[in-house]
Amino acid sequence: MSEWSRQALGERIFQILRDEILGVEGNFSPQSNLVDAGLDSLAVTQLMLSIEESTGIWVDESLLTPEHLESAETLADLVHAQLQGG
Amino acid sequence: MASAGAAQTARIPLTGADCFLRAFDAEIGRLNGASHLSQLVLRLGPGFDAARLRALVREAAEAQPILRAPIRRALGFGAPAYDLRAAASRPPPAVDVHESGAAPAGDEAFPALFAERLNERVSLRRGELLRFDAVRYDGGAATDLAMTWAHLLFDGSGSERFIQWLDACWRGEQRVDVLPSPEELETADTPSRPAGERGKAARAWQAWLESMAAHPMRSLAGPLRRTPQALRWNVLTLDEADTERAVATAGRLAGFLTPMLFYLAVAIRAHHAVARARGVDPGSYVVPLPVNTRPRGAAGAIFRTHVSLLWFQVFPDQVDDLDTLIGTLKSQRLAAIKAGHIENGADAMSFARFAPTRIYTHMARRSFGGELCSFFFAYTGEFLGRMDRCFGADLRNGFHVAPVPPSPGSCAAMSLRNGRLNVTHVVQHGVFSEADEALFRESLRADLARGV
Repeated sequence: MSEWSRQALGERIFQILRDEILGVEGNFSPQSNLVDAGLDSLAVTQLMLSIEESTGIWVDESLLTPEHLESAETLADLVHAQLQGG
Repeated sequence: MASAGAAQTARIPLTGADCFLRAFDAEIGRLNGASHLSQLVLRLGPGFDAARLRALVREAAEAQPILRAPIRRALGFGAPAYDLRAAASRPPPAVDVHESGAAPAGDEAFPALFAERLNERVSLRRGELLRFDAVRYDGGAATDLAMTWAHLLFDGSGSERFIQWLDACWRGEQRVDVLPSPEELETADTPSRPAGERGKAARAWQAWLESMAAHPMRSLAGPLRRTPQALRWNVLTLDEADTERAVATAGRLAGFLTPMLFYLAVAIRAHHAVARARGVDPGSYVVPLPVNTRPRGAAGAIFRTHVSLLWFQVFPDQVDDLDTLIGTLKSQRLAAIKAGHIENGADAMSFARFAPTRIYTHMARRSFGGELCSFFFAYTGEFLGRMDRCFGADLRNGFHVAPVPPSPGSCAAMSLRNGRLNVTHVVQHGVFSEADEALFRESLRADLARGV
Protein backbone atom coordinates (compact mmCIF):
# COMPACT_ATOMS: atom_id res chain seq x y z
CA MET A 1 0.00 0.00 0.00
CA SER A 2 1.10 3.53 -0.70
CA GLU A 3 2.13 5.83 2.10
CA TRP A 4 0.28 8.65 0.36
CA SER A 5 -3.15 9.58 1.64
CA ARG A 6 -5.52 10.98 -0.96
CA GLN A 7 -5.43 14.37 0.74
CA ALA A 8 -1.64 14.56 0.94
CA LEU A 9 -1.37 13.48 -2.67
CA GLY A 10 -3.83 16.15 -3.79
CA GLU A 11 -1.87 18.81 -1.92
CA ARG A 12 1.43 17.65 -3.41
CA ILE A 13 0.09 17.58 -6.98
CA PHE A 14 -1.41 21.02 -6.56
CA GLN A 15 1.92 22.30 -5.22
CA ILE A 16 3.86 20.80 -8.16
CA LEU A 17 1.46 22.31 -10.66
CA ARG A 18 1.40 25.73 -9.07
CA ASP A 19 5.09 26.09 -8.24
CA GLU A 20 7.01 23.93 -10.73
CA ILE A 21 4.96 23.27 -13.82
CA LEU A 22 2.57 26.11 -14.50
CA GLY A 23 4.16 28.85 -12.44
CA VAL A 24 0.72 30.28 -11.73
CA GLU A 25 -0.55 32.18 -8.77
CA GLY A 26 -3.60 34.17 -7.77
CA ASN A 27 -6.72 32.49 -9.08
CA PHE A 28 -5.25 29.01 -9.55
CA SER A 29 -6.94 26.55 -7.21
CA PRO A 30 -7.19 22.76 -6.81
CA GLN A 31 -10.38 22.99 -8.88
CA SER A 32 -8.91 25.06 -11.75
CA ASN A 33 -8.93 23.50 -15.22
CA LEU A 34 -5.37 22.43 -15.98
CA VAL A 35 -5.47 22.84 -19.76
CA ASP A 36 -6.94 26.32 -19.41
CA ALA A 37 -4.15 27.11 -16.94
CA GLY A 38 -1.52 26.27 -19.58
CA LEU A 39 -0.87 22.55 -19.25
CA ASP A 40 0.44 21.43 -22.64
CA SER A 41 2.21 18.42 -24.12
CA LEU A 42 5.58 19.21 -22.59
CA ALA A 43 4.18 20.35 -19.25
CA VAL A 44 2.12 17.21 -18.79
CA THR A 45 5.20 15.04 -19.23
CA GLN A 46 7.17 17.18 -16.78
CA LEU A 47 4.24 16.91 -14.38
CA MET A 48 4.24 13.12 -14.61
CA LEU A 49 8.00 13.08 -14.02
CA SER A 50 7.59 15.23 -10.92
CA ILE A 51 4.80 13.00 -9.64
CA GLU A 52 6.99 9.96 -10.26
CA GLU A 53 9.79 11.60 -8.32
CA SER A 54 7.47 12.24 -5.37
CA THR A 55 5.47 9.02 -5.33
CA GLY A 56 7.56 6.51 -7.22
CA ILE A 57 4.75 5.75 -9.65
CA TRP A 58 4.76 6.55 -13.36
CA VAL A 59 1.40 7.42 -14.85
CA ASP A 60 1.54 7.03 -18.61
CA GLU A 61 0.21 10.02 -20.58
CA SER A 62 -2.15 7.75 -22.46
CA LEU A 63 -4.11 7.22 -19.23
CA LEU A 64 -4.79 10.94 -18.98
CA THR A 65 -8.19 11.85 -20.38
CA PRO A 66 -9.66 15.36 -20.47
CA GLU A 67 -11.69 14.36 -17.41
CA HIS A 68 -8.52 13.50 -15.44
CA LEU A 69 -7.03 16.86 -16.36
CA GLU A 70 -10.12 18.77 -15.33
CA SER A 71 -8.28 19.87 -12.17
CA ALA A 72 -5.52 19.00 -9.70
CA GLU A 73 -8.19 17.19 -7.71
CA THR A 74 -9.34 14.92 -10.55
CA LEU A 75 -5.73 14.19 -11.44
CA ALA A 76 -5.04 13.30 -7.81
CA ASP A 77 -7.95 10.85 -7.95
CA LEU A 78 -6.33 9.06 -10.88
CA VAL A 79 -2.86 8.98 -9.36
CA HIS A 80 -4.25 7.79 -6.04
CA ALA A 81 -6.12 4.98 -7.78
CA GLN A 82 -2.89 3.98 -9.54
CA LEU A 83 -1.05 3.98 -6.23
CA GLN A 84 -3.71 1.72 -4.82
CA GLY A 85 -3.08 -0.68 -7.65
CA GLY A 86 -5.99 0.44 -9.80
CA MET B 1 -1.93 44.18 -25.83
CA ALA B 2 0.42 47.09 -25.93
CA SER B 3 2.18 49.23 -28.42
CA ALA B 4 4.74 47.29 -30.40
CA GLY B 5 7.53 49.77 -30.09
CA ALA B 6 9.10 48.20 -33.14
CA ALA B 7 9.21 51.45 -35.03
CA GLN B 8 11.44 52.96 -32.35
CA THR B 9 13.94 50.09 -32.50
CA ALA B 10 16.53 50.24 -35.26
CA ARG B 11 17.54 46.59 -35.22
CA ILE B 12 15.82 43.45 -33.91
CA PRO B 13 18.26 40.57 -33.45
CA LEU B 14 17.22 37.13 -34.64
CA THR B 15 16.76 34.40 -32.04
CA GLY B 16 18.92 31.29 -32.18
CA ALA B 17 15.99 29.36 -33.66
CA ASP B 18 15.54 32.11 -36.29
CA CYS B 19 19.19 31.70 -37.26
CA PHE B 20 18.81 27.93 -37.38
CA LEU B 21 15.99 28.36 -39.91
CA ARG B 22 18.00 30.98 -41.79
CA ALA B 23 20.66 28.32 -42.26
CA PHE B 24 18.11 26.23 -44.17
CA ASP B 25 17.33 29.17 -46.39
CA ALA B 26 21.00 29.48 -47.26
CA GLU B 27 21.21 25.74 -47.85
CA ILE B 28 18.23 25.58 -50.22
CA GLY B 29 19.45 28.68 -52.03
CA ARG B 30 22.91 27.17 -52.52
CA LEU B 31 21.85 23.66 -53.49
CA ASN B 32 18.48 24.10 -55.12
CA GLY B 33 18.10 27.73 -56.18
CA ALA B 34 15.04 28.33 -54.00
CA SER B 35 14.22 29.51 -50.47
CA HIS B 36 13.06 28.01 -47.19
CA LEU B 37 9.48 29.25 -47.47
CA SER B 38 6.50 28.15 -45.45
CA GLN B 39 2.85 28.58 -46.33
CA LEU B 40 -0.66 28.39 -45.00
CA VAL B 41 -3.75 28.04 -47.14
CA LEU B 42 -7.19 29.43 -46.32
CA ARG B 43 -10.16 28.12 -48.26
CA LEU B 44 -12.68 30.97 -48.17
CA GLY B 45 -16.32 31.39 -49.17
CA PRO B 46 -17.79 34.46 -50.89
CA GLY B 47 -17.17 37.94 -49.52
CA PHE B 48 -13.36 38.13 -49.62
CA ASP B 49 -12.11 41.55 -50.75
CA ALA B 50 -8.52 41.35 -52.03
CA ALA B 51 -8.17 45.12 -52.49
CA ARG B 52 -9.05 45.64 -48.86
CA LEU B 53 -6.53 43.01 -47.75
CA ARG B 54 -3.86 44.68 -49.91
CA ALA B 55 -4.54 48.04 -48.28
CA LEU B 56 -4.52 46.45 -44.82
CA VAL B 57 -1.22 44.65 -45.43
CA ARG B 58 0.34 47.89 -46.70
CA GLU B 59 -0.86 49.70 -43.60
CA ALA B 60 0.39 46.87 -41.36
CA ALA B 61 3.82 46.91 -43.00
CA GLU B 62 4.10 50.65 -42.42
CA ALA B 63 3.21 50.21 -38.75
CA GLN B 64 5.28 47.02 -38.35
CA PRO B 65 8.37 47.50 -40.52
CA ILE B 66 9.70 44.06 -39.61
CA LEU B 67 7.31 42.70 -42.26
CA ARG B 68 9.67 43.96 -44.97
CA ALA B 69 12.90 44.52 -43.05
CA PRO B 70 16.18 43.30 -44.56
CA ILE B 71 18.00 40.73 -42.41
CA ARG B 72 21.71 41.47 -42.14
CA ARG B 73 24.66 41.15 -39.83
CA ALA B 74 25.87 44.56 -38.65
CA LEU B 75 29.15 45.32 -40.45
CA GLY B 76 29.14 41.73 -41.65
CA PHE B 77 29.57 40.11 -38.25
CA GLY B 78 27.71 39.78 -34.94
CA ALA B 79 24.18 38.41 -34.67
CA PRO B 80 21.99 38.91 -37.73
CA ALA B 81 19.11 41.30 -37.21
CA TYR B 82 16.08 42.81 -38.89
CA ASP B 83 17.16 46.26 -40.07
CA LEU B 84 14.04 48.33 -39.46
CA ARG B 85 15.50 51.59 -40.74
CA ALA B 86 16.10 50.04 -44.15
CA ALA B 87 12.54 48.68 -44.26
CA ALA B 88 11.02 52.00 -45.29
CA SER B 89 12.61 51.77 -48.72
CA ARG B 90 11.31 48.26 -49.34
CA PRO B 91 7.94 47.57 -51.02
CA PRO B 92 5.14 46.21 -48.81
CA PRO B 93 4.32 42.50 -48.94
CA ALA B 94 2.50 41.66 -52.17
CA VAL B 95 -1.17 40.70 -52.27
CA ASP B 96 -1.77 39.30 -55.76
CA VAL B 97 -5.09 38.17 -57.19
CA HIS B 98 -5.37 35.43 -59.80
CA GLU B 99 -8.76 34.96 -61.45
CA SER B 100 -9.87 31.46 -62.21
CA GLY B 101 -12.97 29.73 -63.56
CA ALA B 102 -14.89 27.16 -61.59
CA ALA B 103 -13.50 26.04 -58.26
CA PRO B 104 -11.59 22.77 -58.45
CA ALA B 105 -13.67 19.72 -57.71
CA GLY B 106 -13.24 18.08 -54.32
CA ASP B 107 -11.81 19.17 -51.00
CA GLU B 108 -8.28 18.20 -51.91
CA ALA B 109 -7.71 20.05 -55.21
CA PHE B 110 -5.70 23.26 -54.99
CA PRO B 111 -4.17 25.67 -57.50
CA ALA B 112 -0.71 24.79 -58.76
CA LEU B 113 0.28 28.41 -58.23
CA PHE B 114 0.59 27.84 -54.50
CA ALA B 115 3.21 25.13 -54.99
CA GLU B 116 5.04 27.38 -57.46
CA ARG B 117 5.28 30.06 -54.79
CA LEU B 118 7.12 27.61 -52.54
CA ASN B 119 9.70 27.10 -55.25
CA GLU B 120 10.62 30.76 -55.49
CA ARG B 121 13.79 32.30 -54.27
CA VAL B 122 13.48 35.35 -52.06
CA SER B 123 16.15 37.56 -50.58
CA LEU B 124 16.14 37.88 -46.81
CA ARG B 125 18.80 40.54 -47.26
CA ARG B 126 16.30 42.62 -49.19
CA GLY B 127 13.44 42.05 -46.76
CA GLU B 128 11.42 39.74 -49.01
CA LEU B 129 9.64 37.96 -46.19
CA LEU B 130 5.94 37.68 -46.87
CA ARG B 131 3.36 37.57 -49.67
CA PHE B 132 -0.29 36.65 -50.28
CA ASP B 133 -1.80 35.00 -53.35
CA ALA B 134 -5.55 34.81 -53.78
CA VAL B 135 -7.08 32.58 -56.44
CA ARG B 136 -10.69 33.71 -57.04
CA TYR B 137 -13.13 31.25 -58.55
CA ASP B 138 -16.28 32.20 -60.46
CA GLY B 139 -15.77 35.91 -59.91
CA GLY B 140 -15.42 35.55 -56.14
CA ALA B 141 -17.89 32.78 -55.29
CA ALA B 142 -14.96 31.15 -53.52
CA THR B 143 -11.31 32.01 -52.93
CA ASP B 144 -8.22 30.05 -52.01
CA LEU B 145 -5.81 32.35 -50.20
CA ALA B 146 -2.17 31.40 -49.57
CA MET B 147 0.15 33.26 -47.24
CA THR B 148 3.76 32.41 -48.07
CA TRP B 149 6.59 33.56 -45.81
CA ALA B 150 10.26 33.15 -45.07
CA HIS B 151 10.10 30.43 -42.46
CA LEU B 152 11.93 32.32 -39.77
CA LEU B 153 9.33 35.12 -39.73
CA PHE B 154 6.77 32.89 -37.98
CA ASP B 155 6.53 29.32 -36.75
CA GLY B 156 3.28 27.49 -37.47
CA SER B 157 1.35 28.78 -34.48
CA GLY B 158 2.83 32.24 -34.93
CA SER B 159 1.56 32.37 -38.50
CA GLU B 160 -1.95 31.50 -37.30
CA ARG B 161 -1.70 34.19 -34.66
CA PHE B 162 -0.64 36.70 -37.29
CA ILE B 163 -3.70 35.82 -39.39
CA GLN B 164 -5.92 36.22 -36.32
CA TRP B 165 -4.38 39.61 -35.60
CA LEU B 166 -4.71 40.74 -39.21
CA ASP B 167 -8.35 39.60 -39.27
CA ALA B 168 -9.00 41.48 -36.02
CA CYS B 169 -7.54 44.58 -37.69
CA TRP B 170 -9.81 43.91 -40.69
CA ARG B 171 -12.84 43.87 -38.37
CA GLY B 172 -11.70 47.01 -36.57
CA GLU B 173 -11.15 45.21 -33.29
CA GLN B 174 -7.39 45.72 -33.36
CA ARG B 175 -5.05 48.45 -34.63
CA VAL B 176 -2.20 47.73 -36.99
CA ASP B 177 0.21 49.58 -34.72
CA VAL B 178 -0.60 47.35 -31.76
CA LEU B 179 0.76 43.81 -31.64
CA PRO B 180 0.12 41.13 -29.05
CA SER B 181 3.16 40.38 -26.87
CA PRO B 182 5.38 43.15 -28.24
CA GLU B 183 8.04 42.31 -25.67
CA GLU B 184 8.99 39.40 -27.89
CA LEU B 185 10.09 41.89 -30.48
CA GLU B 186 12.22 43.88 -28.16
CA THR B 187 14.24 41.14 -26.52
CA ALA B 188 16.75 38.81 -28.07
CA ASP B 189 17.35 35.35 -26.64
CA THR B 190 17.79 35.55 -22.92
CA PRO B 191 20.34 32.88 -22.06
CA SER B 192 19.04 30.70 -19.24
CA ARG B 193 22.54 29.67 -18.15
CA PRO B 194 26.16 30.84 -18.49
CA ALA B 195 28.01 30.42 -21.79
CA GLY B 196 30.17 27.59 -20.47
CA GLU B 197 27.15 25.54 -19.44
CA ARG B 198 25.43 26.30 -22.72
CA GLY B 199 28.49 25.05 -24.54
CA LYS B 200 28.33 21.77 -22.64
CA ALA B 201 24.60 21.50 -23.34
CA ALA B 202 25.13 22.13 -27.04
CA ARG B 203 27.83 19.47 -27.17
CA ALA B 204 25.52 17.01 -25.39
CA TRP B 205 22.85 17.67 -28.01
CA GLN B 206 25.36 17.18 -30.80
CA ALA B 207 26.59 13.93 -29.23
CA TRP B 208 22.99 12.74 -29.03
CA LEU B 209 22.60 13.30 -32.78
CA GLU B 210 25.89 11.60 -33.51
CA SER B 211 24.79 8.56 -31.53
CA MET B 212 21.91 8.24 -33.99
CA ALA B 213 24.21 8.75 -36.93
CA ALA B 214 26.07 5.62 -35.85
CA HIS B 215 23.24 3.70 -37.51
CA PRO B 216 22.75 4.20 -41.24
CA MET B 217 19.74 6.19 -42.39
CA ARG B 218 18.51 6.89 -45.89
CA SER B 219 15.60 9.11 -46.88
CA LEU B 220 13.39 8.40 -49.88
CA ALA B 221 15.03 11.32 -51.69
CA GLY B 222 18.50 9.87 -51.27
CA PRO B 223 21.37 11.95 -49.97
CA LEU B 224 22.03 15.55 -50.89
CA ARG B 225 20.17 16.27 -54.13
CA ARG B 226 21.54 19.26 -56.00
CA THR B 227 18.52 19.70 -58.22
CA PRO B 228 16.42 22.80 -58.84
CA GLN B 229 13.69 22.85 -56.22
CA ALA B 230 10.34 21.62 -57.50
CA LEU B 231 8.08 21.06 -54.52
CA ARG B 232 4.54 19.84 -54.89
CA TRP B 233 2.02 19.03 -52.24
CA ASN B 234 -1.07 16.88 -51.81
CA VAL B 235 -3.74 17.17 -49.15
CA LEU B 236 -5.53 14.25 -47.57
CA THR B 237 -8.67 15.39 -45.74
CA LEU B 238 -10.41 12.84 -43.54
CA ASP B 239 -14.16 13.11 -43.11
CA GLU B 240 -15.61 13.78 -39.68
CA ALA B 241 -16.18 10.13 -38.78
CA ASP B 242 -12.63 9.07 -39.68
CA THR B 243 -11.22 12.14 -37.94
CA GLU B 244 -13.15 11.26 -34.81
CA ARG B 245 -11.61 7.78 -34.92
CA ALA B 246 -8.12 9.21 -35.48
CA VAL B 247 -8.43 11.65 -32.57
CA ALA B 248 -9.77 8.92 -30.28
CA THR B 249 -6.97 6.55 -31.27
CA ALA B 250 -4.36 9.26 -30.75
CA GLY B 251 -5.72 9.93 -27.27
CA ARG B 252 -5.90 6.26 -26.31
CA LEU B 253 -2.49 5.23 -27.64
CA ALA B 254 -0.38 8.36 -27.24
CA GLY B 255 -2.25 10.60 -24.80
CA PHE B 256 -4.82 13.38 -24.90
CA LEU B 257 -2.15 16.09 -24.62
CA THR B 258 0.55 14.22 -26.55
CA PRO B 259 -1.31 12.98 -29.66
CA MET B 260 1.54 14.01 -31.98
CA LEU B 261 3.34 10.75 -31.26
CA PHE B 262 0.45 8.82 -32.81
CA TYR B 263 0.50 11.04 -35.89
CA LEU B 264 4.29 10.79 -36.11
CA ALA B 265 4.05 7.00 -35.93
CA VAL B 266 1.48 7.02 -38.72
CA ALA B 267 3.78 9.18 -40.86
CA ILE B 268 6.75 6.86 -40.23
CA ARG B 269 4.68 3.85 -41.29
CA ALA B 270 3.50 5.61 -44.46
CA HIS B 271 7.10 6.34 -45.47
CA HIS B 272 8.06 2.79 -44.59
CA ALA B 273 5.27 1.40 -46.77
CA VAL B 274 6.82 3.21 -49.75
CA ALA B 275 10.36 2.13 -48.88
CA ARG B 276 9.25 -1.49 -48.53
CA ALA B 277 7.37 -1.40 -51.84
CA ARG B 278 10.51 -0.10 -53.52
CA GLY B 279 12.67 -2.71 -51.84
CA VAL B 280 14.73 0.04 -50.23
CA ASP B 281 16.38 -0.49 -46.85
CA PRO B 282 15.93 2.78 -44.92
CA GLY B 283 18.43 1.65 -42.26
CA SER B 284 16.54 3.53 -39.60
CA TYR B 285 14.08 6.39 -39.42
CA VAL B 286 15.46 9.56 -37.86
CA VAL B 287 12.85 12.30 -37.48
CA PRO B 288 12.95 15.63 -35.61
CA LEU B 289 9.89 16.91 -33.76
CA PRO B 290 9.78 20.70 -33.20
CA VAL B 291 9.05 21.72 -29.61
CA ASN B 292 8.02 25.22 -28.66
CA THR B 293 10.27 26.82 -26.09
CA ARG B 294 8.23 29.96 -25.57
CA PRO B 295 7.37 30.84 -21.98
CA ARG B 296 4.52 28.65 -20.77
CA GLY B 297 1.16 30.14 -21.60
CA ALA B 298 2.55 32.46 -24.28
CA ALA B 299 0.59 32.27 -27.49
CA GLY B 300 2.23 31.83 -30.89
CA ALA B 301 5.03 34.29 -31.36
CA ILE B 302 4.80 36.79 -34.14
CA PHE B 303 8.07 37.58 -35.90
CA ARG B 304 10.15 35.37 -33.61
CA THR B 305 10.65 31.63 -33.51
CA HIS B 306 11.35 29.90 -30.21
CA VAL B 307 11.77 26.22 -30.86
CA SER B 308 13.97 23.28 -30.04
CA LEU B 309 14.01 19.84 -31.63
CA LEU B 310 13.47 16.40 -30.15
CA TRP B 311 14.92 13.62 -32.29
CA PHE B 312 13.56 10.12 -32.67
CA GLN B 313 15.19 7.07 -34.17
CA VAL B 314 13.36 3.82 -34.86
CA PHE B 315 14.32 0.72 -36.81
CA PRO B 316 12.27 -1.17 -39.38
CA ASP B 317 11.44 -4.00 -36.97
CA GLN B 318 9.86 -1.42 -34.63
CA VAL B 319 7.67 0.01 -37.37
CA ASP B 320 5.56 -2.98 -38.33
CA ASP B 321 3.27 -2.82 -35.30
CA LEU B 322 1.69 0.59 -34.64
CA ASP B 323 1.31 0.07 -30.89
CA THR B 324 4.94 -1.01 -30.54
CA LEU B 325 6.06 1.97 -32.57
CA ILE B 326 4.11 4.45 -30.44
CA GLY B 327 5.49 2.83 -27.29
CA THR B 328 9.01 3.25 -28.65
CA LEU B 329 8.43 6.90 -29.52
CA LYS B 330 6.94 7.58 -26.10
CA SER B 331 9.91 6.09 -24.27
CA GLN B 332 12.37 7.99 -26.48
CA ARG B 333 10.55 11.27 -25.88
CA LEU B 334 10.53 10.69 -22.14
CA ALA B 335 14.22 9.83 -22.09
CA ALA B 336 15.08 12.93 -24.13
CA ILE B 337 13.06 15.20 -21.84
CA LYS B 338 14.69 13.65 -18.78
CA ALA B 339 18.12 14.18 -20.34
CA GLY B 340 17.33 17.86 -20.87
CA HIS B 341 17.60 17.70 -24.66
CA ILE B 342 14.90 20.31 -25.23
CA GLU B 343 16.95 22.85 -23.29
CA ASN B 344 20.17 21.50 -24.82
CA GLY B 345 18.77 21.97 -28.31
CA ALA B 346 17.71 25.52 -27.56
CA ASP B 347 21.21 26.25 -26.25
CA ALA B 348 22.77 24.68 -29.34
CA MET B 349 20.63 26.93 -31.52
CA SER B 350 21.58 29.99 -29.49
CA PHE B 351 25.13 29.59 -30.82
CA ALA B 352 23.76 29.77 -34.35
CA ARG B 353 23.42 33.53 -33.89
CA PHE B 354 27.19 33.92 -34.03
CA ALA B 355 28.09 30.97 -36.24
CA PRO B 356 28.43 30.91 -40.02
CA THR B 357 25.01 30.44 -41.57
CA ARG B 358 25.69 27.03 -43.06
CA ILE B 359 27.24 25.40 -40.04
CA TYR B 360 24.21 23.55 -38.71
CA THR B 361 23.07 21.97 -41.93
CA HIS B 362 26.69 21.15 -42.71
CA MET B 363 27.16 19.41 -39.35
CA ALA B 364 23.95 17.43 -39.73
CA ARG B 365 24.70 16.32 -43.28
CA ARG B 366 28.27 15.39 -42.35
CA SER B 367 26.96 13.21 -39.51
CA PHE B 368 24.20 11.58 -41.49
CA GLY B 369 26.05 10.84 -44.70
CA GLY B 370 24.52 13.72 -46.63
CA GLU B 371 21.02 13.39 -45.18
CA LEU B 372 19.30 15.79 -42.79
CA CYS B 373 16.75 13.28 -41.52
CA SER B 374 14.35 10.65 -42.89
CA PHE B 375 11.53 13.14 -43.38
CA PHE B 376 10.06 16.21 -41.72
CA PHE B 377 6.93 16.06 -39.62
CA ALA B 378 4.64 18.55 -37.91
CA TYR B 379 1.39 18.25 -36.01
CA THR B 380 -0.03 21.64 -35.07
CA GLY B 381 -3.39 20.75 -33.52
CA GLU B 382 -6.45 22.83 -34.30
CA PHE B 383 -5.85 25.18 -37.25
CA LEU B 384 -7.24 28.66 -36.51
CA GLY B 385 -9.57 27.24 -33.88
CA ARG B 386 -12.58 29.38 -32.98
CA MET B 387 -12.35 31.26 -36.29
CA ASP B 388 -15.39 30.70 -38.48
CA ARG B 389 -14.77 33.70 -40.68
CA CYS B 390 -11.64 35.38 -41.96
CA PHE B 391 -11.19 38.57 -44.03
CA GLY B 392 -14.96 38.93 -44.49
CA ALA B 393 -15.61 35.37 -45.74
CA ASP B 394 -16.48 31.99 -44.29
CA LEU B 395 -13.35 30.00 -43.47
CA ARG B 396 -14.24 26.62 -44.95
CA ASN B 397 -10.92 24.88 -44.47
CA GLY B 398 -7.26 25.66 -43.91
CA PHE B 399 -3.91 24.01 -43.25
CA HIS B 400 -0.16 24.45 -43.21
CA VAL B 401 2.26 23.65 -46.03
CA ALA B 402 5.70 23.05 -44.60
CA PRO B 403 9.05 23.65 -46.29
CA VAL B 404 11.23 20.65 -47.07
CA PRO B 405 14.77 20.69 -48.44
CA PRO B 406 16.12 17.72 -50.41
CA SER B 407 17.02 15.45 -48.90
CA PRO B 408 14.90 14.25 -47.10
CA GLY B 409 12.52 15.65 -49.72
CA SER B 410 9.32 14.69 -47.91
CA CYS B 411 7.26 16.24 -45.12
CA ALA B 412 3.93 15.33 -43.56
CA ALA B 413 2.16 18.25 -41.85
CA MET B 414 -1.06 17.51 -39.99
CA SER B 415 -3.70 19.71 -38.38
CA LEU B 416 -7.38 19.70 -37.48
CA ARG B 417 -9.99 22.06 -38.83
CA ASN B 418 -13.72 21.93 -38.01
CA GLY B 419 -13.61 18.28 -37.01
CA ARG B 420 -11.59 17.16 -40.04
CA LEU B 421 -7.95 16.14 -40.13
CA ASN B 422 -5.85 17.57 -42.95
CA VAL B 423 -2.58 15.92 -43.89
CA THR B 424 -0.42 17.96 -46.24
CA HIS B 425 2.25 15.86 -47.88
CA VAL B 426 4.96 18.12 -49.28
CA VAL B 427 7.40 16.37 -51.56
CA GLN B 428 10.20 17.21 -53.94
CA HIS B 429 9.35 16.44 -57.55
CA GLY B 430 10.65 13.04 -58.52
CA VAL B 431 10.89 11.66 -55.01
CA PHE B 432 7.42 10.06 -55.01
CA SER B 433 5.90 8.44 -58.09
CA GLU B 434 2.11 8.45 -58.45
CA ALA B 435 2.09 4.85 -57.21
CA ASP B 436 4.24 5.85 -54.22
CA GLU B 437 1.89 8.70 -53.39
CA ALA B 438 -1.16 6.43 -53.64
CA LEU B 439 0.47 3.90 -51.34
CA PHE B 440 1.50 6.65 -48.93
CA ARG B 441 -2.07 7.95 -48.71
CA GLU B 442 -3.48 4.46 -48.36
CA SER B 443 -1.16 3.73 -45.44
CA LEU B 444 -1.97 7.06 -43.77
CA ARG B 445 -5.69 6.58 -44.14
CA ALA B 446 -5.63 2.99 -42.89
CA ASP B 447 -3.71 3.88 -39.72
CA LEU B 448 -5.54 7.11 -38.99
CA ALA B 449 -9.02 5.64 -39.37
CA ARG B 450 -8.34 2.20 -37.94
CA GLY B 451 -9.94 2.94 -34.57
CA VAL B 452 -9.10 1.34 -31.24
